[in-house]
Amino acid sequence: MPMPPPPRTPLLVRLARWLLGPLCWCMVGLVTPAGATPAPTVQVLTQALAAAEVGGRPPAWAGAAPVTLPDDWADRRPDHGGVMWYRLALSWPGDGGPAPALYGLYVERACSVLQVRLNGHLVHDGGRFDEPVSRNCHRPQLVALPAALMQAGDNRLDLRIRGYARAEVSSRQRAGGLSVIEVGAYDTLAAHHARRSVFAVRLPEVLSGALVLMGSFMFVMGWFHREQSYLAYFGALMLGWSLLLARLWASDLPVPNHVTELALAALMSFITLAAVQFLMRYAGRRLRWLDFALPAQCALMPATLLVAGEPRLYAVASIWFVVLTVQVVAAVVFYLVEARRQRSRQLWPMAALLGVVGVSLALEIAAQGWALDSRVLHVAQLLPALGFLALGLRLVQQYGRAFQTAEQHRAELEVRIREATAQIERNFAQLSELKVEQVTERERKRIAADLHDDLGAKLLTIVHTSDNERISQLAREALEEMRLSVRGLTGKPVKLLDALGDWRAEVVSRLQQSGVQGEWSAPSDEEVPQTLSSRAYVQTTRILREAVSNIIKHSGASQCSVRCTIANGDFQLVVQDNGKGIPVELDGRLDKGHGMASMKGRAKQLQGQCLVESGPGYGTVIRLTLPLERHTTAH
Amino acid sequence: MNNILLLEDLPEIRTWLKSLVLQVFPNARITECSRVQDALLQVQSVRFDLALCDLGLPDGSGTDVVAKLRDVQPDAQSVVVTIHDDDEHLFPALQAGAYGYILKEQSRELITEQLQRISQGEPPLSPSIARKVIKYFASQNLPQANAMPEVSLTDRESEVLLRVAKGFTLPEIGVQLGLSRHTIADYVKQIYRKLNVSSRAEAALEAQRLGLFRR
Repeated sequence: MPMPPPPRTPLLVRLARWLLGPLCWCMVGLVTPAGATPAPTVQVLTQALAAAEVGGRPPAWAGAAPVTLPDDWADRRPDHGGVMWYRLALSWPGDGGPAPALYGLYVERACSVLQVRLNGHLVHDGGRFDEPVSRNCHRPQLVALPAALMQAGDNRLDLRIRGYARAEVSSRQRAGGLSVIEVGAYDTLAAHHARRSVFAVRLPEVLSGALVLMGSFMFVMGWFHREQSYLAYFGALMLGWSLLLARLWASDLPVPNHVTELALAALMSFITLAAVQFLMRYAGRRLRWLDFALPAQCALMPATLLVAGEPRLYAVASIWFVVLTVQVVAAVVFYLVEARRQRSRQLWPMAALLGVVGVSLALEIAAQGWALDSRVLHVAQLLPALGFLALGLRLVQQYGRAFQTAEQHRAELEVRIREATAQIERNFAQLSELKVEQVTERERKRIAADLHDDLGAKLLTIVHTSDNERISQLAREALEEMRLSVRGLTGKPVKLLDALGDWRAEVVSRLQQSGVQGEWSAPSDEEVPQTLSSRAYVQTTRILREAVSNIIKHSGASQCSVRCTIANGDFQLVVQDNGKGIPVELDGRLDKGHGMASMKGRAKQLQGQCLVESGPGYGTVIRLTLPLERHTTAH
Repeated sequence: MNNILLLEDLPEIRTWLKSLVLQVFPNARITECSRVQDALLQVQSVRFDLALCDLGLPDGSGTDVVAKLRDVQPDAQSVVVTIHDDDEHLFPALQAGAYGYILKEQSRELITEQLQRISQGEPPLSPSIARKVIKYFASQNLPQANAMPEVSLTDRESEVLLRVAKGFTLPEIGVQLGLSRHTIADYVKQIYRKLNVSSRAEAALEAQRLGLFRR
């Protein structure tokens, strides 16, 4: 009897095929589409006799009841747990085709462990029948039927199955049961078995591994970056899910059934914790009470399952699953509403992923109540894992991008800090410079006041109390010097125009008082925009004063002219008289006694020069040249 | 010049100044003070024709005495006798009402001549003081300046100030403007007087402003 093709390929299956096809190719090198029609030489056995084993011996078949396969214990004998025997009649060759060298027997589902006897000979032993019982509920099994044991005509197939009552397991899929039996050429069934195994065992294995790797990675990433704690919860979710997937491929566990079932049920509470926390934190909301409530729930759920005991495991677990599902749905709704409100760009990818996961879970839940096509279930079991991997990649990518942005910001910040530091340093330098200037200014004023009050007063007393005219004259000159020094110490820059006014007033009035005819010429106002430093002003005043004093005291001149000019950035002062000139000393140099040396020294201090031309009979010319630029801005 | 106030803290200089003043005004009665407080008391009780005030004194500035004298005896002439020749020290005293200044270290002859000139109404005016006065009146922003000729300079006065600032002597300016020596001296006296009046007006205005704010 050929196996009837499924009436309608579900959309989800096609989608899954499309998604998983390349994966199968890579992993197993299997190309045959899952829906290929099996070879016609396959018999499907649906009629059997069933009897419970008593005392470890094969049952007396006399009282056996006929059953139609698939025999789902959850439906037909929900309270039965233990060993069942099934006897099937196999008439062979069925349709008279050429006899194959090796026959095969394919069992889609035999829960939880299967032994096969052909005509009384043990041909297959699927695992341990005592606790811990092997767990092969999700594993399709292929049994080789040696041709030597086959008899022409009727053959007797005995299938021994150890299974659990529904009440003892947390999911209906792991309640005892036997699917239809297919018998045919070994090659044909082996190919069929291999295809099924890929979905039922290999892909869950691969995905478990991938989830463990990626989940650990993300958990560590989230652990060390607490502000991205959602990464850690997502990692935990992936780890939990990989454990959940392990139920599909881990068959020989060292613990008895009820411990495994309890752990699997408890795992759901952990997955719920991870999922809810991930969604809340990914939405940017952290509720403190959830941080306590969810772990408490994780502890409470196994406790209630333990208290309820083995016989009520299914009932209590079912109630818990509803509660957990409600929590996850609430978190999903919260996340979607929040993401929509924040106009998050993650809204639609996340909605799609959550939709896929939701449909898969709905199918799982549906499978608790009704027996569904195993292929639909396989897809439903694998899709969430794939979705988690995709979201994981997306999160890592986001994280990487955020990290990059943060790095960029950090670099920018560093540049800005460096700028600000430089600015502060500049300001500080300016400030301290200003401070130094202020302190210097204050100190100069203090020195000036001291000089005036102490030295000035004493010199003045000498000036006016000394009987000796020369001493009083010396004191007067010292006082004048002191005053000029103070002025050079504290004075502000002087406009050249103002300086010319001061000099003119002094020179002209002094010459007038001495009866010398004076002549003053200076550039017009527009030609002298420059300023002099107070030092230059004071020194020039001294030089001019000295020159005029010489003329009044020594030259005997009747005329004196002072010419001020500005040319090529130099300020030039020419003082000329018609006196008797400066007497030449023996060595041919001009008399130092007339203050010429100090005049020249002062000019040199200002980077200028002072030339004196003199000869008996034709008077004296003093030329003072000062570079203006150096003194225009200097303080 | 009968009653003369002499404010000077250095005894030698005070003696020297006294002899100098007696040489110019042989019949004068001289009241000597060495402190600002003493001088202020004297100003309250004695009527002076001339006051010679030093600026830097142990208990304050001679400027206070100049101002007080200006207030209580407007006809008395104050002259600053100082060692400071810079306008930073002199200008406040001139604003307070001093009619010129004498530099202490100058020779006896020069000082006697200056004293005579001052007493005859010819106060001295240096270029730097002139510049300061010009600047002061230029920055002067009294609202009643136009309404009060008392506190603003006439064109002639400004002209004289400008020329002094450029270094021309008063006789030279007289020649340049075709004015007699006395007229020029009058201008200078007016300038000193207006400087004082304007400063007082400004101070009053400032006080009023502060009063308004305080209220």
